[in-house]
Amino acid sequence: MLRGHLKIFFGYAAGVGKTYAMLDDAKVQYQNGVDVVIGYIKPNSSAENMALLKGIPALPYRKITDPKACYEFDLDAALERKPKLIIVDELAHTNHPGVRNRKRYQDIEELLNVGIDVYTTVDVWNIESLNDIVESITHVNVKETVPDYIFDHAEKVQLIDMEPDEIIHRNEEILLTRDYMPQLREIAMRKAADWISHHSRVSTDKTTNTKLLVCISSSPSSAKCIRWTARMAEALHAPWVVVYVENNQHERLGEESKKILQSNVELAEQLGAEVATLNGKDIATTVAQYAKLSGITNIVVGKSRNKKTLATLFEPYFEDKLISLLDNIEIHIIPDNEIKKKYRRFSMQRYKKKVTFSLKEALKMIGILAIITYLSSILTAFNFGSQNIILLYILAVLFISRVTSGYIYGITASILSVFLQNYFFMEPYNAFQFLRKENAITVFAMLITALITSTMTHRIKTQAELAQVREQRIEVLYEINKKLLVTRGLDHIVTLTGEYIMKLLERSVILYLEDPIHGGKGTLMLRQEDPDGDYLQSEKERSVAHWVFANQKRAGAGTDTFIEAKAYYVPILSQGNVLGVIGVACHGDKTLNHSNRAFLRRIGSLVAMALERQRLSDEQRQILIETEKEKMRSNLLRAISHDLRTPLTGILGASSAILENKERLDQETHDKLITNIKDDSQWLIRMVENLLSVTRINEDTANVTKTPEAAEEIMAAAISRIRKRFPNQNIRVTVPEELLMVPMDGTLIEQVIINLIENAIKHSGSETLITVLLKREDDMAVFEVSDRGEGIAEKDFPYLFESYVPDGLRTADSSRGMGIGLSICMSIVKAHQGIMEAYNQQEGGAVFRFSLPLQGGDENE
Amino acid sequence: MNNKLVILLVEDELAISNFISTILVHNEYSVIKAESGREALRLTTLNNPDLILLDLGLPDMDGIQVLKDIREWSNVPIIIVSARGHEREKVEALDLGADDYITKPFGTSELLARIRTAVRHSHKIMEENHPETDRIVIGGLSIDYDKRIVKLEDKEIHLTPIEYKIMTLLSRNVGKVLTHDFIMKEIWGPYVNENQTLRVNMANIRRKIEINPAEPKYIVTEVGVGYRMVDEV
Repeated sequence: MLRGHLKIFFGYAAGVGKTYAMLDDAKVQYQNGVDVVIGYIKPNSSAENMALLKGIPALPYRKITDPKACYEFDLDAALERKPKLIIVDELAHTNHPGVRNRKRYQDIEELLNVGIDVYTTVDVWNIESLNDIVESITHVNVKETVPDYIFDHAEKVQLIDMEPDEIIHRNEEILLTRDYMPQLREIAMRKAADWISHHSRVSTDKTTNTKLLVCISSSPSSAKCIRWTARMAEALHAPWVVVYVENNQHERLGEESKKILQSNVELAEQLGAEVATLNGKDIATTVAQYAKLSGITNIVVGKSRNKKTLATLFEPYFEDKLISLLDNIEIHIIPDNEIKKKYRRFSMQRYKKKVTFSLKEALKMIGILAIITYLSSILTAFNFGSQNIILLYILAVLFISRVTSGYIYGITASILSVFLQNYFFMEPYNAFQFLRKENAITVFAMLITALITSTMTHRIKTQAELAQVREQRIEVLYEINKKLLVTRGLDHIVTLTGEYIMKLLERSVILYLEDPIHGGKGTLMLRQEDPDGDYLQSEKERSVAHWVFANQKRAGAGTDTFIEAKAYYVPILSQGNVLGVIGVACHGDKTLNHSNRAFLRRIGSLVAMALERQRLSDEQRQILIETEKEKMRSNLLRAISHDLRTPLTGILGASSAILENKERLDQETHDKLITNIKDDSQWLIRMVENLLSVTRINEDTANVTKTPEAAEEIMAAAISRIRKRFPNQNIRVTVPEELLMVPMDGTLIEQVIINLIENAIKHSGSETLITVLLKREDDMAVFEVSDRGEGIAEKDFPYLFESYVPDGLRTADSSRGMGIGLSICMSIVKAHQGIMEAYNQQEGGAVFRFSLPLQGGDENE
Repeated sequence: MNNKLVILLVEDELAISNFISTILVHNEYSVIKAESGREALRLTTLNNPDLILLDLGLPDMDGIQVLKDIREWSNVPIIIVSARGHEREKVEALDLGADDYITKPFGTSELLARIRTAVRHSHKIMEENHPETDRIVIGGLSIDYDKRIVKLEDKEIHLTPIEYKIMTLLSRNVGKVLTHDFIMKEIWGPYVNENQTLRVNMANIRRKIEINPAEPKYIVTEVGVGYRMVDEV
């Protein structure tokens, strides 16, 4: 479907006349006969605007009553009405809860997706990437923003401009932005100019070799870096990457910080960045490696005015490290003006979280210390020096850090060790004495050593854990990929994927390969823990899945669209097509975090590849079948034209002989000619009947409509027809005592039996006995026709059931025979999922037999 | 006055119409030819024929419709002429009141036999107000309706009540095709769809009255349509 065109009326302040210009344009369109509909205009618009509205049809507002009464744009009514052009004011508007999309621009995207043209308005401060600049000028933080891609991808942008003085003159009440108006005006013009330069480029691909990278953290100030980079990238027409490094600090982040990180990532995605999450201990090294590998030319980092603390005294600054690692890269530093207090609060919280007390761990610690103390007392008894005791205690601390989880035990153990050692093993014994010169140094050295040991051990441990988690994830992805590679068939791919996602995210999963609106049922993988998964298949959830199919975007719980849905839905995309949708249950407010989403996305691309591969192989098979069918058809045609010519020539010859020699023919010759005509015609009729049978086989599926038939009745019908034609033929028929009901197309199977018996008669002559047998073998009904004739010639075997036999390979006898007949038998039996075979009997004569399955008929016919 | 039976031949193919009428005239029938459905309806009201041979493929209207229209007011025997492979069409025609059908291509003797059977049936109904004769004999098979006894070569055959009911139904319509649906409705009532049961019963009857069930003499299967009891062996 053709996407609709978006025209944005863009201004730098309220009151420049955006809405007026838009309505004016709409009016012209309307008068030119375009199907224009007013979707939404602020109800309290100015009188001039209202005057323009007159005459243009308008959609009624959608009234929302919960949680508070308000009027919203009615998206579904607009989609239903499907005009050519719709007017929807205020692009940046945030919808009230209860409306499907959180933002109006999402509504507008849906309209564009179904091919409706849209006119809308937006102010400069609503543009996402300009948000912070505007804030720095006006000191007002605008919450309602529109992602830049909406603006950048608009087909038309009309800048509505007016002298600031005039605006003020016209609208007395607008004073808020008065002082900033010139600056806002400048920014708006620049943005419009950017848009023009963006659109005047012939090719849209980002050709410059500039590639930007911005490092973000869980700090709210990262948003500024992201916006800055977005603007830079836009100006340079360069691609850009947002990188977050997950190191051992990551696990320690509080909920609040994780949320900020998540919102930073979302902001980046909204602004059109590629987001990469890297793992590594040292942020600078990791970033440098990534930058080298992906050809990054510019790196943007935020810099806070942190004073060097004791802990970081000897660590070089991050940017210094980057510079030392990457010599060819430009580094941009964005100052961070965040208020420090806020950050402090976070860190306090962060550590509070860390301190958790567990009796078991504490006992471990006390136990180890007790053992060491006891051991030390023995050693002291044997006069080992106190330096050995110190070493033993450090060993104990090392041990404790290793076997307990959390800093606290290691640190406590180091302090306790100092006390214990001081109390028991340092003069004066059994008393604390820190003030003695030699003691003081020992105590101090020991404390520091113990602390460092403890923290180091702990760090190594967390790193190992982190590495393990990382490795596990990679392994899982690798495993899925490996399994998907060997999996064939859509069902298997879906089940495999579903099982993995369910296992890893520990949530119920639903997978759709087909839009629910077109009858896609979806495969539900239910966890045993949530036995009630019906809600995933409710009408509401299915409509979310449908939306994802239609809009190629994620939706559901934790996103901006269908927030109230109970699951999170992501599309499986491949080359701009939605191959399927994965839904993950988020029941009970458990939305997915960023790493889970990223994981889903990765799985999604693996599945997309698998599905694509499956589709290709299906297509290939289809082509193979098609060519096979084509070959069969042309062979059949060739065979028919060959076989039909002979009897037709006979009929033509005989009839013209009679007509032209009326008087000269004696009665005997006359009758003989007539008999010839009759024989040839009968042969032709049989031929045509055979050909008609083929048309009953379904072209596409090579299948027939089956109904349960009594096999013996079909056999009897065939025999009686044969008897009519060959009254003197010696045929012995045997059917079993048991009644065999076989799903089949009776007429076709009758045809097969007739063909086989006819073939037998032709090859054995009318004198000999022909045996026709029906019996049951396991789950098959077996039909057998055997004769006492000359049998099948060895060289005929390969072509026995072929409709077309290369000339010269055909035995002379079969030139007017059942060549087509047998091949038709074969295709009929195959269409019944039966087996057909032929062999020579040892005592002479040929046997043709076919078996049909007793089960599996369509009972609906 | 001419005592010949009048047959209305509804067929649009001239060659076929010619050869059928030649056969019929030679066998002492009088033939009226119609080439379209409307003409057939007109000639039926005008001449009141004794039998109609109706081809279902007509140029102006569906043969089935012609059949329906005639059946609204007349019980004249109608034999459907149809192509092979159109079982559904045949069943529909029979269920709508056609007396019999014959499949193209057919032989002369077959056609004449069908016409004889159909005419005999209609005469039976017209001449005897009580069509219930007390017994029927076909070859070695005899059915005594009064005593409810079926004999084969003078030996009594034991049939279950359902089997006897089926035998009676077929023998009362001897020579005529009865569709599966028709038999099922007659035996089990209108709401039963016991296709399988009918087949099983037929198989049992066949094993009792036929020498070789694979080559039945008395009750023949019309594949995809139904069963027919032959009127002469």
